[in-house]
Order: sequence, then structure tokens, then C-alpha cells
Amino acid sequence: MGMFLVFGGAGAAMAAPTDNGVEGKTFVIGTDTTFAPFEFRENGELTGIDMDLVRAIGEAEGFEVEIRSLGFNAALQALTSNQVDGVIAGMSITDERKQVYDFSEPYFESGIQMAVAKNDDTIKGYEDLKGKTVVAKTGSEGEAYAKSIAGQYGFTVKSLDQSATMYESVKSGSAVAVFDDYPVLAYGVAQNNGLKTVTDKVPGGSYGFAVNKGKNTALLAAFNDGLAKLKADGDYQEILDKYLANPTAAQPTTFLDLLAKSFPALMSGLKNTLLVTIISFAVAMAIGLLAGFMKISHNIVLRGIATTFVNIFRGTPLLLWAFMFYFGLPQLTGQPINIWVAGVLTLSLNSGAYVAEIVRGGIQSVDPGQLEASRSLGLGYGKSMQKVVVPQAFKMMTPSLINQLIIMLKDSSLLLAIGFAELLYQGQQIYAANFRVTETLLIVGVIYFVAVMALTKLANYADRRFNK
Amino acid sequence: MSASPVETQKPAKITVKGLRKSFGANEVLKGIDVEIGEGEVVCVIGPSGSGKSTLLRCLNKLEEISAGQVVVDGFDVTDPKIDINEVRRHVGMVFQHFNLFPHMSVAENIMLAPVELKKATKVEARAQAMKLLDRVGLKEKADARPASLSGGQKQRVAIARALAMNPGIMLFDEATSALDPEMVGEVLQVIRDLAAEGMTMVLVTHEMGFAKEIGDRVIFMDAGVVCESGRPDELFGNPQQERTKEFLSKVL
Repeated sequence: MGMFLVFGGAGAAMAAPTDNGVEGKTFVIGTDTTFAPFEFRENGELTGIDMDLVRAIGEAEGFEVEIRSLGFNAALQALTSNQVDGVIAGMSITDERKQVYDFSEPYFESGIQMAVAKNDDTIKGYEDLKGKTVVAKTGSEGEAYAKSIAGQYGFTVKSLDQSATMYESVKSGSAVAVFDDYPVLAYGVAQNNGLKTVTDKVPGGSYGFAVNKGKNTALLAAFNDGLAKLKADGDYQEILDKYLANPTAAQPTTFLDLLAKSFPALMSGLKNTLLVTIISFAVAMAIGLLAGFMKISHNIVLRGIATTFVNIFRGTPLLLWAFMFYFGLPQLTGQPINIWVAGVLTLSLNSGAYVAEIVRGGIQSVDPGQLEASRSLGLGYGKSMQKVVVPQAFKMMTPSLINQLIIMLKDSSLLLAIGFAELLYQGQQIYAANFRVTETLLIVGVIYFVAVMALTKLANYADRRFNK
Repeated sequence: MSASPVETQKPAKITVKGLRKSFGANEVLKGIDVEIGEGEVVCVIGPSGSGKSTLLRCLNKLEEISAGQVVVDGFDVTDPKIDINEVRRHVGMVFQHFNLFPHMSVAENIMLAPVELKKATKVEARAQAMKLLDRVGLKEKADARPASLSGGQKQRVAIARALAMNPGIMLFDEATSALDPEMVGEVLQVIRDLAAEGMTMVLVTHEMGFAKEIGDRVIFMDAGVVCESGRPDELFGNPQQERTKEFLSKVL
């Protein structure tokens, strides 16, 4: 595993003693995927208050910014594990967070508001929430506020990861209200997300830019310095106005419009989905062949190693390994890991365990007389396997391997949890900005379906061509 | 143990001394002593489970040998340091169920060993395969797949394949048992031709008539030991042991 780390090149630039310590450098900044108007995608491009702000500050201070759109929790985990240099994600400055991160001067004064479905006339205030369920974003100020009054008004708080999912919960009736930061709600309502705000805003936290505690001090200083400059020359207000004063950005109106607008981003997602699947499958085949042969070996140690490997990866969820490789491993090794490496490790080790079983089964299904005949001719074990047993086993394994490939293509969508820009992730990005959840998911579903069908046809063709 | 003295005028091609073989707690061979001379054709007969196939499979070490010594063509196959692959190139083997490689053509089946063991180029191996196929009367099937052949044709290809490394010894493990009766003859004819050319052969067989006709010597095995051994006319005509008589009365 260690050898992969060599290629893990994301992030963590070292502060060196130049002018302001940041000039000419590139910093990797983590952010949320879905926190419009602070960060969201428009026509595939990341935009929003946070994005404009951090880019403008970068320009003013002479450093480059590389944005990683990871999701709120994932961005914070990435910061903790030094996968990113800083996080700007509409994040409130709290005492708890100050224990682990260093914050900039506040760049935005926020507040919490409650919203309900547009056609809901029963919930007019907190007192109407008795016995009901509300949603809030995991780890957010809104969640903290909702929990603080939940006992008093007798409602339950359910935490979700994304704004769009929260709004869908309210619209679909699985929750009656959402607690979120007021600019976010205001932006969503203006985008026709199907909600309305019903309470006054509760003055709340201030948003800040964060770096890991004691790290990237030059970056933090440059952020404060740049922010002051932007405030002084009016650029800061201009950015806020762009998103808050007149937040009716050009959102798609018809389904075809949505399709046309989202297609480029979805195609780039599909490309990543296919690429990570193909690379991972090649690695899984190598791992699976090795482990499969080890499983039929006469050597008890090799057999034990292979069996343990298969049991571990078949017995644990894929998602757990995605988190483990992307967030856990860097904290163990102190080395950042490239998201492609983490993704390929996750998919290929999981799939490799299944391929190992397919290989073992395939080889054991070949008549032992075949190996005996080959050995009796004077061919060694390896040669006999290579020329006689494996070609026949492979023929029997092919349908199972095609099946495994298709499972992997679909499972690769789980990598969205670590912010890997695959197809479903791109879909999330799109509906996070325009709130057209159902239609976007429908389009994504059709693309997956077509991709799986095409892959199946291709694999079956190859099977017929080479295994006749 | 053996009833009649073993006559081997020619130098021994195969020597088996005190051979024992167990599968777990089950001892299948309980001390076998056999010597087979060059060019000799030996048929091994006996009831099923008597250990005759196991004896044959010990000769090229397809079975691990539990105890005793087996020397084949000058190689001590019981020596742990021996290169068993080298020994096997001197010993051709034909199986009851043919074991042709289904993913290769008939010619490729025969060419596999010479090409992979670098004894011949593909062109040379192909020419040799055609010669061998001609010998077993299947030249026109060179590019057919084994699946398209009849049982008798498959077994003739298997014999050609076993001959590809020019072995000095051929082992036949019930080579005609899986064949339809009308196909037995064509396979026996090929074996008969080999015998006429002076090939040293050991045949485990149920074809008593054929054993009588082709064998220089017949070995009767029962319960893991050689019960009786001798010239076919002696063993079939005047068996000495009760077990032999009993067996022959059932099969003849």
C-alpha cells in the first residue's frame, strides 16, 4: 500500500519565508458541494460567495487557489488529515472548532432561519413543531440552534449532509421544516426550491476561513490581509450583492434546458466514473488472480493470507474503505493521498476480493484430468496452469467477471462521499444549485443505465470474440 | 509372491521395488515389486480397486509415492531431487477419459509439449504432429476441435499427443474403457502398431482378449499386491492362484 503514497501529491504546500509567505504558491482549499449561494456549481463551474472571495483574495495576495469541492464534513476531515490547506465552506466560527482549527477574521455575519414547504399553512412558528421532525445540516449552526430549542418545543432534529436533500425531505413530507443559514435559505427560495421562510432570523455565527491548528499561518495571515483590502475597495460588497441582493441567476426552466445545461458536467462525471472503473478493474484483476491462485495453493501461509484478505474486504463496506484510505491513511502516514489513488484502492481491493473467489472457483471447475494430462507431458505446474487450466477457467469465469465489472461501475458512485467527481457527484452538484433533484437524478440514472448496457454489450462481444 | 519367474532378457526399463501408496489411512499399494524390460509389453489386469491404475500413476509420479523405489528409464522418480518434468518427457501417458485440451485444435494438442518445452519450433512441431496424426489415421482432423471428434478419434489423438516427445515408455490407463464397443478396435490397432515397433508399454486394461494377444507378460493384481504374473498363455490358460482363477472365471 505504501508505494501508492508516492503518487499522492495533493496539497499541503509548505510555508517558506518569502514576502508574505504565500506569493506564487498554490493552495488547496476544501469546500462544501452544496451550500448555495456560498458555493455551488453553475454550468459546471464552481461559483458562489466563498469561491469569489477566496479567489479574489488569492489574486490580491498573489497565490493560486485550487478548489476541492468535497462536502462540508469531508472538507473538514480533509483539513484535519492535511489533505487540503484550508477550508472555506460557509463555516461558522465556534469554540469547538477553534480547538482544532485556526480561523480567519469573520468574513460574513450569518443567522439561522426556519423554512417550511411553500404550500404548508400549518407550521407558522416553533410552537407548531410539537411531535414533528425537522432537518438541519450535520455539524452546522442551524443544527446546533434547532437542537437547543428542540426540547422546549418538543420536536425531533434529523441531521442530513446536504442542503438539497434537506429541502427534498421537507417537500416530500418526511420532515416538516428545515433550519438553515438565512442567506442559503433566501437563495434557495429565490431559486424556487419549493420552500418559504416562516420565522425571523436568529442572529447567529460568523463565517470564517479555517486552516489546521498551527499550520499554514502565512495563508491565514494573507487571507485576513486580502479580506481587509477587498472590504476597503468595495469588491467585498460587490461579491455579496451579486449573490444576495439579486440572487436570480439564470437557472434552467424546462427539462430540456436542464439537460442541456447539466450535460457537460455530467459527461465529465461519466468520464471519471468510467476511468476509475477501468483502472480499478485492471488492478482488481491483478489482485484477484494473485489471491485466487494463493487460495488454491498448497502452501498454508499463502492460503491463509489470501483467505484473510478476501474475508476482510468481503466482510466490510466499500464506503468504510473509501473514508479509511482518503481520510484515515493520511493521518497514519502523515502523507497526503491523491483522491484517484484512494478511489482506485477502495474499488480494486473490494472487487479484488470477489475476483479472487471467481478465479478460485473457475480454476477448481476445470477437470483435474486436464492438469494431469499436461503434467504427464512434462510441462511444469506454472506452464500447465498458463497454457491449459487458466484459459479454460477464464472462459468459465468471464460471465462472473463481467458481472463484477458492472457492480464496480455502479459502486464507484460511493466515491462521491470523499468528493471524487464521478457521475452521481456531478448530479448532486447540479441539483444542489438548482434544486431540480428528481429530474437531475433521472438524467443521471439514464446515463448510468446506458453506460452499464454499453459496457455489458462490449464485454459480451469480447467474450464471444476471445472465448469461442 | 509371483507365481512364475519374471523373465527379462533385455535391460530393465522400469524397476519397482517395495512400492507402497496410501491415500490417508487407506493403503492402496502394499509393496509392489516389478521389473519391465526394454520393448516389453506388460498388461496389468485385476478387479477394480485392486490398485492397478494407482501403480501406473506412480510410474510417472502423478501420485506421490509413500514408500519404496521406482526407477524409470534410468531416473529414480522417488529421489526428491529428481526433475520429474524431465522424467515425464520420457514417459507418455494415455488416460481413460482422453483429457484432450478442449480449447486447442487437434494439432495444437500435439504441438503443445514440443513447443513449450523448446524441443521444436512451431513449424517443426506442426510437421511432426501431422506425421503422428498420419500414424493414427487422423491427418484430416488436424485443425478440428476435440469436441467434434468421436471417442475413438479422441483417444487416437491422445496417443499421438503422448508420442510427441518421443517417449521410450508408454503408459495406458484403461485407454478403451470409456469407448463405445465399435470404437475399441481402432484404438487397439494403434496400440498394436506401437507394440510392433518395439515400444515399452504398460497397459492397465479390461480387454482380456487384447491382453492375451498383445502382452509379453500379464500381471494380475488384487488388493494392492501382485497376485500372479506370467506369460499370457500361462496366466490365462493355467492360472496358479485361487484369486486369479476366480477373477478369470468372472471376466472370461
